[in-house]
Amino acid sequence: MAQKKDVWQGTLALMVLKTLDTLGPLHGYGIARRIEQTSGDLLAVNYGTLYPALLKLEQEGYIRSEWGLSDNNRKAKYYKLTRAGKKQLEREARDWEQTTSILARFLAPGEEPS
Amino acid sequence: MRGLRGFLLRLVGSFRKERNDRELADEMESHLQMHIDDNLRSGMSAQEARRQALLKLGGVEPTKEIYRERRGLPLLETVLQDLRYATRTLRKNPGFTIIAVLTLALGIGANTAIFSMVNALLLRPYNFPELDRLVRVWENRGIEEGADARFIAPQDAADLQSGAPVFDALATYKCGEFNLNTEGNVQPVVGCHVSANFFDVLGVSPALGRAFSATEEEPGADQVAVVSYGFWQRRFAGDAALLGTVIQMNGKKYTVVGIMPRGFDYPVPMELWVPLALSPAEKTDRAKLSLESLGRLEPGINVAQARSAVDSVSRRLQQEYPATNANRRTEVLQLRKELYLYTLPLFLLLQAAAVFVLLLACANLANLLFARIFGRQKEIAVRTALGAGRWRLARLFVTETLLLSCIAGVVAVAVSFWSVKVLRTSIAPSWTMWVPGWDGIHVDRTVLAFTVLLTAVVGLLFGLGTVLHSSQAQPYTTLKEAGRGPMLGSKGRLRSALVVAQVMLALVLLVCAGLTTQAFLRLVDVYQGFQAANVLRTEIRLPEKSYPENSQIASFYDGMLRGSASLPGASAAALVTNSPASNVDNEATFFTINGRATAKASEAPSADLQISSADYFSVLRIPLVAGRTYTFADNANAARVAVISRSMAARYWPNGDELGQQIKLGASDSTEPWMTIVGVVEDVRQNWWNPTNRPTIYEPIFQAHQRSMVFLMRVASNPEGYASAVRDVVRGIDDQIALTGVGTLEKEITDSIAIIRIMGVLMALFGCVALALSSVGVYGVLAEGVARRLPEIGVRLALGAEPRDVMKLVLGQALKLTGIGLAIGVPIAFAVNRAMSSLIFGIVSVNLLLLAGFTLLLLLVALAAAYIPARRAMRVDPMVALRYE
Repeated sequence: MAQKKDVWQGTLALMVLKTLDTLGPLHGYGIARRIEQTSGDLLAVNYGTLYPALLKLEQEGYIRSEWGLSDNNRKAKYYKLTRAGKKQLEREARDWEQTTSILARFLAPGEEPS
Repeated sequence: MRGLRGFLLRLVGSFRKERNDRELADEMESHLQMHIDDNLRSGMSAQEARRQALLKLGGVEPTKEIYRERRGLPLLETVLQDLRYATRTLRKNPGFTIIAVLTLALGIGANTAIFSMVNALLLRPYNFPELDRLVRVWENRGIEEGADARFIAPQDAADLQSGAPVFDALATYKCGEFNLNTEGNVQPVVGCHVSANFFDVLGVSPALGRAFSATEEEPGADQVAVVSYGFWQRRFAGDAALLGTVIQMNGKKYTVVGIMPRGFDYPVPMELWVPLALSPAEKTDRAKLSLESLGRLEPGINVAQARSAVDSVSRRLQQEYPATNANRRTEVLQLRKELYLYTLPLFLLLQAAAVFVLLLACANLANLLFARIFGRQKEIAVRTALGAGRWRLARLFVTETLLLSCIAGVVAVAVSFWSVKVLRTSIAPSWTMWVPGWDGIHVDRTVLAFTVLLTAVVGLLFGLGTVLHSSQAQPYTTLKEAGRGPMLGSKGRLRSALVVAQVMLALVLLVCAGLTTQAFLRLVDVYQGFQAANVLRTEIRLPEKSYPENSQIASFYDGMLRGSASLPGASAAALVTNSPASNVDNEATFFTINGRATAKASEAPSADLQISSADYFSVLRIPLVAGRTYTFADNANAARVAVISRSMAARYWPNGDELGQQIKLGASDSTEPWMTIVGVVEDVRQNWWNPTNRPTIYEPIFQAHQRSMVFLMRVASNPEGYASAVRDVVRGIDDQIALTGVGTLEKEITDSIAIIRIMGVLMALFGCVALALSSVGVYGVLAEGVARRLPEIGVRLALGAEPRDVMKLVLGQALKLTGIGLAIGVPIAFAVNRAMSSLIFGIVSVNLLLLAGFTLLLLLVALAAAYIPARRAMRVDPMVALRYE
């Protein structure tokens, strides 16, 4: 069994935002599952750690929460992206792409930057 | 922005704990259920589904913990928690809390009250803009004058203004009384002749109307007046139509041009100000120091610079005009400092005493706290064992002591609003009206800030002390000892040190209090050389306009004296320039002894000058030492005579051959007539602050005429009842003359020492508090010590020690601690004693008896305090005590 990677803090927020952007309002469990599935089960989200991250995002005003009913009629707290959250997502995604592209160039074998 | 929003939400979150906790639990529960549902769908057994879901969720409690920390502000929450806990602990021990709060409130309150005085009187006696730039300027003639004599010659003032470029402006003024005539009714009012720039220099302009213009400084153009707010309200009911009306004073008509704002009273509470219009001859006068002066320094010039600048002008004048200025120096003093030259050390003393009281209170409280920690050692040990960090425990203790001191601070402030008012109103207004700033004594922002600071410092110090004290507790040992606690280890030493410090502080404070109280009791006796009982006192002033000639003055006074002395019950009446206990120094003068002329004018001897009528000595019963006093026959037509004081005779005629000698006022070149010394009288103490008897020359009033005098009359009893009769006598001679300051001489004396009296009372109060606090402290420590040593005492008793030995043990410890405290305290108290005797103007001398008495008293109090625990120790039942083992 391949070793699963832990999700590190900063990226978890980005993943949450992206998930909510893609899927619309979703509860904590759903978000956790989605992140795990998208990563092809390579990332292990310790589901518990998700909630403090959700709280932080909510406190910062990027997401909003609301109690609702799940598909099989269970009471669940649904999280929804706010407009500020959307902007934050774009910003973070851009930053992230930039970072990864820089790192990619760095790590590319043998190629001298021109 | 995001950060702030988050912070605010977290702040709110700190206060909605339970609801939020429930919500999180619900959310996790629903998460779990959904997961279980999924697992069931994928074919797991119910049990396995639940197990997997729980595994995946991770530790629920750590998550909740992280979530909680994220939700609120952990620091704030623990502070709130500590606060709640502290409140609960304090509420659970109401006895401890009340005693601790009262002790601290006493200490803090004493400091607040005294500081409110210091704040009002010393830090801001006047409400003038940039008070620090205002200076008093005067000339010192090189003779030992009363410190109140701060005058300057008009031409010298003008030369200073032009020659010393340190002044923005220099104002001159001359104060006195005016007889205000309102429709035939004459009343005295206090007022000042002031230069036109006077109000500018002070930086205050009239609330209504205008100040004076330079042209109004010319004689003839000077009949305008600016009146005080009080004058306007009292006499004209605040009618704005007063501006422009004409008032009649001293037979002249003045137009009111301005009304000063409320609370403006410089140099003392005044009713009006008129221009100082000097004739050309008066303006260029250098001989007489006739004016007072007040300067505003240029911005950025300090007092030292001003001093050196005026010094150089002074030296130039000395050389240019040796006849008048030979020995004159110009002095500069900040206005703020001028007022409290005498009383500043007393205020500092009081503040120091208040700090001592606070220290004593703190020592006591420390005792209580440490005793309590001792009782709580098990609790601390359990907390430590359960994982409370030292920092967390420390915060708990600091919160507790801070809460205590805050409550004490609030109590102190609440009480001080009342006590400061009592302080302010408990002194006769007749005295306090001469104390600028007195009415400003109240708890203002500065005082509150001072109190808050004090409270915080005290609370933090205690907290730290407690923390240091408690951090020695080792959970393991404490728990093992199961509440028995160590015997007398390092903690015992710390608490013993507290007792020592307390005894020491109490001794020093008691000695100070004793000295000041003694000073107060003896102050009335300070006024020696005369008898003040049954003497009526009033002031009188004859206006120059209606009494231009000496003969007129003489006949008025003659009529007044004869008329009053013949009143039924009156035994004698007299006039004098300055009555004792007036809180004003006598005028000092040079004099020359015939045949002993000094080469230089400036080297002539000096003495106080009093002008009086013949019966002055009999009215005050000043004993005659040699020769005779003067009589009504020593008038303008008779040969000039003088009476001198005993100390003057002793100083200049040590062989006792003073009678018949001749002296004249002024230096050897003066044109004053020679006076023959006809008598010597006992020394009279003029004012309480001057301990030495000054040589004094008495001149008969009918040979040296003065318009402003103090009238004194001795009667059989009830002097106040004669006021209206004397007024009638005066009215019978001239109905334009008013009497001011009517009262008894005894009251004048009491009023003059009001400040010392209130300080004496406060110090006595502090002394009693010190005694009470220290005895409680000694008792507390010993009782605690005995309680802790019960098992040991039980063992001793079981091994055959006599109860007497146990008693000795406890008393011995008390004696040892008190003895050390006293051994340290005595030299300090002795030094303070020495310092104080110089502070209180020689009224109090180093008093070894007092020192010995208080030492003994403290020793006795300590023994008495030790006796109760000692008795308890003696009666210990060995069996009961040993059962603890």
